[in-house]
Amino acid sequence: MSQSYNRGLVEDFGRWREFSAGMWAWVFHKFTGWVLVGYLFTHIAVLSTALQSPEAYTTTIQSLESLLIVRLLEVGLLAVSVFHILNGLRLLFVDLGVGISGQDQSFYASLILTGAIVIASVPTFLAGVFG
Amino acid sequence: MAEHYSSFKRGGRRWLWQRITAAFLVVVLAFHFFLLHFVHHADEVTFAMSQGRMQELTYFSLMVLFLVTATFHGVNGVYNALINQGLSGTRRKATKVVLGVASIVLIVQGVRTAIAWAGGIPI
Repeated sequence: MSQSYNRGLVEDFGRWREFSAGMWAWVFHKFTGWVLVGYLFTHIAVLSTALQSPEAYTTTIQSLESLLIVRLLEVGLLAVSVFHILNGLRLLFVDLGVGISGQDQSFYASLILTGAIVIASVPTFLAGVFG
Repeated sequence: MAEHYSSFKRGGRRWLWQRITAAFLVVVLAFHFFLLHFVHHADEVTFAMSQGRMQELTYFSLMVLFLVTATFHGVNGVYNALINQGLSGTRRKATKVVLGVASIVLIVQGVRTAIAWAGGIPI
């Protein structure tokens, strides 16, 4: 017989100290999802400068990329994307019934791998911004 | 109460399509990041380079499919998250219409931009 646990509502963020790994995974997946869908609309808006003229597009992108804050936000975007991808893969497997017993560990692995990939990518993402 | 933390109704089609688009997006989003940040660098972007890529039918169609699946996955995710938070009735219907219109605007704008880069559909 399968066990069931009453962990209460994950939407009740006030009790975050009691959250299990799976509940954190759910919260992080939601948060990163909101960021990514917001970014998608912003991304298309910026790329749309190509409709104005080739020069407007090139100037816009190069001006944005010369700003340190934009580069740092891009590192943040990478972190959010990598976590959403890795945790998304974890969800696909869990939904297929693969690795359910190890789902806490796979969440921790997603976090660690995200951190490692992001740290390793920082030099590439900041290249050229300091002059 | 047995655990069932999901934004989706069990067995629903919105859940299935969210998973199908996810499987595609995992690969294409990783490719997109890798190509535009590691193979090429973001500060080297010019209209001519984007144009060169977009004039290839394979790349053009992959990017249009990427836009459509990412829009669906993102907007469907938001819609289901809101339902999960208790959205119902007229507000749910209104949200569905607003998100549907936003998706269409985003896709149309994205495809127009892709066509501007490629100088037409590259067939």
